Amino acid sequence: MKKIWVLGLIFTLVIGVLAVGQVKTLYWNLNTEPPSLDPNISTDTTSIQVEQALFLGLTDFDDATMAVVPELATHWENSEDGLTWTFYMRDDVVWTDGTPVTAQQVVYSVKRTLDPATGSSYAFVLWIIEGAQAYNNDEGGTADGVAVKALDDYTVEFTLIQPAGYFPSIAGMWVCRPLPQTVIEEYGDAWTNAENIVTNGAYELGEWVHEDHMILYKSATYYDVAKVNIDQIYCYMIEEASTAMTMYEAGNLDSTSPPLEDMDRVKADPVLSAELTIAPDLCTYYYGFNNEKPPFDNPLVRKAFASAIDRQNLIDYVLKGEQKPAQTFVCPGIFGHVDGVAEGIGYPYNPEAAKQFLADAGYPNGEGFPEVTLMHNTSEGHSKIAQFIGQSFMDTLNVKVNIVNQEWKVYLATCREDCPQIYRMGWCADYPDANNWVNEVFNSKSGSNYANYNSPDFDALIEQAARESDPAVRLDLYRQAETLMCDTDAGIAPIYFYTIVNLTKPYVVRTFAPLGGEHWEQWDILPH
Amino acid sequence: MFEFVVRRILWVIPIILVVSSITFLLMHSIPGGPFDAEKALPQAIIDNLNAKYHLDDPLWKQYVDYMWGFMRFDLGPSIAYRSRTVNDILAQQWPVTGLLGLASFGIAVFFGIPLGVISAIKQNSLIDYGSMWISMLGLSIPNMAMGPLLIWIFALKLKWFPVATWGTPIHIVLPAITLGTAYMAMFARMTRASMLQVVREEYIQTARAKGVREIWVMLKHTLRNALIPVTTIAGPAFAGMMTGSMIVERIFAIPGIGKYYVTSVGNRDYPVIMATTLVFALAVVFMNMLVDISYGILDPRIRYN
Repeated sequence: MKKIWVLGLIFTLVIGVLAVGQVKTLYWNLNTEPPSLDPNISTDTTSIQVEQALFLGLTDFDDATMAVVPELATHWENSEDGLTWTFYMRDDVVWTDGTPVTAQQVVYSVKRTLDPATGSSYAFVLWIIEGAQAYNNDEGGTADGVAVKALDDYTVEFTLIQPAGYFPSIAGMWVCRPLPQTVIEEYGDAWTNAENIVTNGAYELGEWVHEDHMILYKSATYYDVAKVNIDQIYCYMIEEASTAMTMYEAGNLDSTSPPLEDMDRVKADPVLSAELTIAPDLCTYYYGFNNEKPPFDNPLVRKAFASAIDRQNLIDYVLKGEQKPAQTFVCPGIFGHVDGVAEGIGYPYNPEAAKQFLADAGYPNGEGFPEVTLMHNTSEGHSKIAQFIGQSFMDTLNVKVNIVNQEWKVYLATCREDCPQIYRMGWCADYPDANNWVNEVFNSKSGSNYANYNSPDFDALIEQAARESDPAVRLDLYRQAETLMCDTDAGIAPIYFYTIVNLTKPYVVRTFAPLGGEHWEQWDILPH
Repeated sequence: MFEFVVRRILWVIPIILVVSSITFLLMHSIPGGPFDAEKALPQAIIDNLNAKYHLDDPLWKQYVDYMWGFMRFDLGPSIAYRSRTVNDILAQQWPVTGLLGLASFGIAVFFGIPLGVISAIKQNSLIDYGSMWISMLGLSIPNMAMGPLLIWIFALKLKWFPVATWGTPIHIVLPAITLGTAYMAMFARMTRASMLQVVREEYIQTARAKGVREIWVMLKHTLRNALIPVTTIAGPAFAGMMTGSMIVERIFAIPGIGKYYVTSVGNRDYPVIMATTLVFALAVVFMNMLVDISYGILDPRIRYN
């Protein structure tokens, strides 16, 4: 009897070893502990990366084209008046517990996001749905008053307060992803724990050791499981970039972002440089001017400063990540992007023009110009950029620049309450449409408009663009808006468009998701 | 002694009240709140969040509610890690830090004190200079340099240890050395100085005159008394190690509590700031109590009244 046990054990071990030999594992770094895996309340890129693997949206984005593509919804249609969107869902998608994914669960998720008691930071992106804001802001609205309906088990309908051509992007966002109501009601906040969670994506959560690692397994119940190549994703949570780099070089990680200090070495190394990818990211780095604070209330002064920034040298000698100089706000890859450099919108580096603008503003050779405060949040990277640009202002315009830094949240409070003359900020896309940029940031009513940029013409353009459905008309409206903000008014000085700087082992076949949320289900690992 | 311990434990109450109220006032007086972000949220959303975490209550009520929870070991939710409570965070992260702290303290004590003793016995010899040079080095190389250096030598080049992360006993070695060396150096120098002072006492001469063997003179009579100042710094040092080091944990990607001491302030994660501060305060108070008790064991002249 004992022998049988031993034989059985050996047999299991051999099978196990054989099986393990065939398991394709991706060793990934999440960079930090995901603050939450609840799609209704997540706001950060780490959580959204994992949720992308665990939960399907009605729509998704194509990594190469940024176009909205079907995911849970096979197709969708918009009513004549542009107000009603109907999404037709697949009927073959199930949760990891075997129950079907239905339109009612989309409705539940949308209403849960909007429920004031949920405290969802991103609920405001859904305010465009009729009745949503009244419910979310506790202004007499109710859950029943929110115009999202399940017409049947696999059809969901949204009615909006105004036409919005970009709505299919919103419908795919994490705040709208169908969620397992019964599980959430049973476990409350603990529903995302590995032992409770029920998901419907290409991967399922196997193990979550907080601050240490997370293991995702290919989900056997995923509707398209045959196309998924990688069996498990082992996610580390390494915050220190140099440690992640060392682990990558030691072969413990399959992909990492090299720290700035290592960039010259990476580029010079024959092996590492072959593994390096620099791809466009969907973020813009900019310096805002407080349009209400003298002397920056004068557009000529703002134009002078915008013309005194040597973007290309900043990129070549300080940033070293092949970023692209920016003269307009919306970055490439976003619908509504206008190539300011090619079309002559905005202000390239031009010391002579900068001096002339300042002279026209009444400060020839910087005479009589008050000391300028340039503020950024405390960080080595921002500090290097501020030193470079501040020096550029001083050399070109002969003005005195006082560079100040503040801890992040103190800085945000300062920008909100008494924004300095020049402040640094960045913006990354939530969905690939200019509405997420010019309207959500620089509308005169926006809370992120620290520049106090206030142009009724600009507001009219971007609000019209939000309602318009013809892409050609919208693009033209955004061109006019960018020209107004970044050229005529020089309300801000865009500096550069970000890039993704990444090292990936040659045996990993991958895509890059500029919007965040890598599509691991499309990747593969070659024998190595 | 029992009475002494009880009295010391009762002293914890006013200490916790003072520490908690100062921390509470300080953290609410710094500008910025937990929901400030690069993408500024509409006021209505911030109102919802403030209501959810009761941050719209008057400050005194928030404080009273917090302390009422604290007394029942309910440390509240984390605002930044929304699916976890502060109890979860402490329960999952603190044991890791504790283990690392114990290992580091072990290294500091088992290497530091003998190093100091040998240096003192062989004063002004090559051994003395050598070990004091080592401890000077340990004190002066900061953790943020020592960690990567050890990783480079022992993980990347020699491949004896893993680069980083946590899980098996072998993962503890490099971070424990990194964290422990500075304390080891401190203990070594303290022990040496203290030994050299005690050795000049008259009772040591008496012991020698009575013909006690030199080794016993050193270990029984000198070291025992020389350990009193060492113990005084060992208590708070142990409390420090048990509550984590942000830098060492970050370099070695260790899932400890250390980072929460720093990130909770950056995140304005009020319940986590309170909990980590109070845990540290309790650790210091408790260790100082142990130090005071140990004085009596090391030096019979000290009584607890």
